[in-house]
Amino acid sequence: MTAIASSPQLATHTRKRPVDWTGVALWIALAVTALLWFLPLFLMFMTSVKSKADLNSSAMWALPGSWEWSNYATALDVGNFWITAGNSLLIAAIKVPLGLAIAAACAFALARIRFRGARSLMLIIAIGSMVPIQIGLGPLFNTMLNLDLLDSRFGLILPYLAFGIPYQIFVLYGFFRGIPHELEESARIDGSGTFRIFWQIILPLAKPALAALFVLDFVATWNEYAMATTLLRSQDNWTVPLAVQGFSTQHGTDYGPLNAFIFMSAIPVLIVYLLFQRYFVQGALAGAVKG
Amino acid sequence: MTTVTIITQGRRKRRPFGSQGIGTAAPYIIPALLLYGWFLLYPMLDSIRLSFYEWSGFRTETPIWVGLDNYRRLFTEDAVFPTALLNSVVWVVLSLILPTVIALLMALGLNQKIIGRNVMRAIFYIPAVFASITVAAMWRWIYNPTLGFVNQLLEAVGLGDWTQSWLGDPRFALGSIFVANIWQAVGFSMVLFLAGLQTVPEELMEAAKLDGANAWQRFRAVTIPALRPTTVVVIILTIINSLKVFDLVVGMTGGGPAQSTQVLALWSYTQSFTNHQFGMGGAVATVLLVVTLAIVIPYMAWSLKGEDK
Repeated sequence: MTAIASSPQLATHTRKRPVDWTGVALWIALAVTALLWFLPLFLMFMTSVKSKADLNSSAMWALPGSWEWSNYATALDVGNFWITAGNSLLIAAIKVPLGLAIAAACAFALARIRFRGARSLMLIIAIGSMVPIQIGLGPLFNTMLNLDLLDSRFGLILPYLAFGIPYQIFVLYGFFRGIPHELEESARIDGSGTFRIFWQIILPLAKPALAALFVLDFVATWNEYAMATTLLRSQDNWTVPLAVQGFSTQHGTDYGPLNAFIFMSAIPVLIVYLLFQRYFVQGALAGAVKG
Repeated sequence: MTTVTIITQGRRKRRPFGSQGIGTAAPYIIPALLLYGWFLLYPMLDSIRLSFYEWSGFRTETPIWVGLDNYRRLFTEDAVFPTALLNSVVWVVLSLILPTVIALLMALGLNQKIIGRNVMRAIFYIPAVFASITVAAMWRWIYNPTLGFVNQLLEAVGLGDWTQSWLGDPRFALGSIFVANIWQAVGFSMVLFLAGLQTVPEELMEAAKLDGANAWQRFRAVTIPALRPTTVVVIILTIINSLKVFDLVVGMTGGGPAQSTQVLALWSYTQSFTNHQFGMGGAVATVLLVVTLAIVIPYMAWSLKGEDK
């Protein structure tokens, strides 16, 4: 949008002065920064295709002597990729939609149904969205122990839900408040019940916000480490972030396969981004910024 | 103000929806409240309770009430706690300055119509999709004393004297972790700033231009005010994420060398789970909670203010 608007005046600039030196300097600065940001990714890729001997003898940025694609196969094996990725996917596939549904319902009630204490409730939930999880990690461990849900993938979903929904409620609350009451009133007059209004009017309007939250929540769930490392024990229940430690033994870390694993572990997240990127930016700010 | 209130109230009476109350709301809020209360609020409050006890965390043992003794030990005997507190504060302050400013500059640059801007956006954002624990593993390799990129590069350009054990030297370890943090954290703030820049009113920009305002004046008078809400969001998210920092430190140094990179979140965890002192862990957690609330509550007041329009 801005790009279209600014292009005519960019053109006049060019006519007045043949070279827009500020623009060139800006572009160079950005390009250099982009190269800097790309560098660790490049090094990671180079490492992921080198043999151990190669890593020990050549510079990190040098091309490999022989392309060791087998590192990727090793990574699947050492990182237990299909099991850990399966666990992560299972958790995310249940947690993300369920959490969004629970959060949306709660935000709807807080924003659109008038009842005593709605505002104080919103405040308590909003504060909960911002406290670091590590504060409650010790007692959470005991809670899960008492519920016999320690070292359980399905058990892990419960605290994941609890720590995911406050922020989502906070964002959706802001979004729902912005929807004009007239829409809902006319539906009421037509005889729709509360649930129908929620399901057929409010939710469809919140699609961009829901899509953005879906992406953010999927990434957060897929990448979560602190709770998983505290609450999961046996390797068969590990999620992807826990698998990283499998690459370090007492003989040192196997960096080739490790970096191959890191690359592969980000693929599902990248796919989700590509699918939802259209909504991501507009929705990310929708509820967070007033107005 | 008064008029607005009266109108809303008038409308509120007309709406049958308005009078339904808690009975209607209950089914929608109960699932969320159950989860929130059970797995978030209760553990938090229980951390505060535990901070008044001495307890190893084993179920066979009963916690012993010690009053404020854990806090006394924290502030007078615990040699690591001051480091952790200081590091957390330094981390928050540095995060507010470096990655935030870099992200703003990136967003301002990429908001122009320039060649390759989508590619650059993607490059700046990609680090944000990796799990912090994997970013930590990756950067530990980059910092590797003998085979790592940083020292190899220094050797290659003839600065061999500058090579360091980046993560093994207390003078450099925290800074080295922070560089990895900048690399990862900038992308998300940049996306927020880019979204915020779309709200800069185009007409105002044009008007300022016609009035002869130069780029810097336009930036100060038009862009900055329009970016204010976005900036508040970026700042608060940055503070919160800085107080949470855990994965990167665990993955890169585990708090070492000699506990020099400890932060509050990790020290609380270490006290509880490694040292089996749940009381001390609870006390550290309570300090972290107090720091967090001191930042969050003013923001919440701002954010929910004027909601009832």
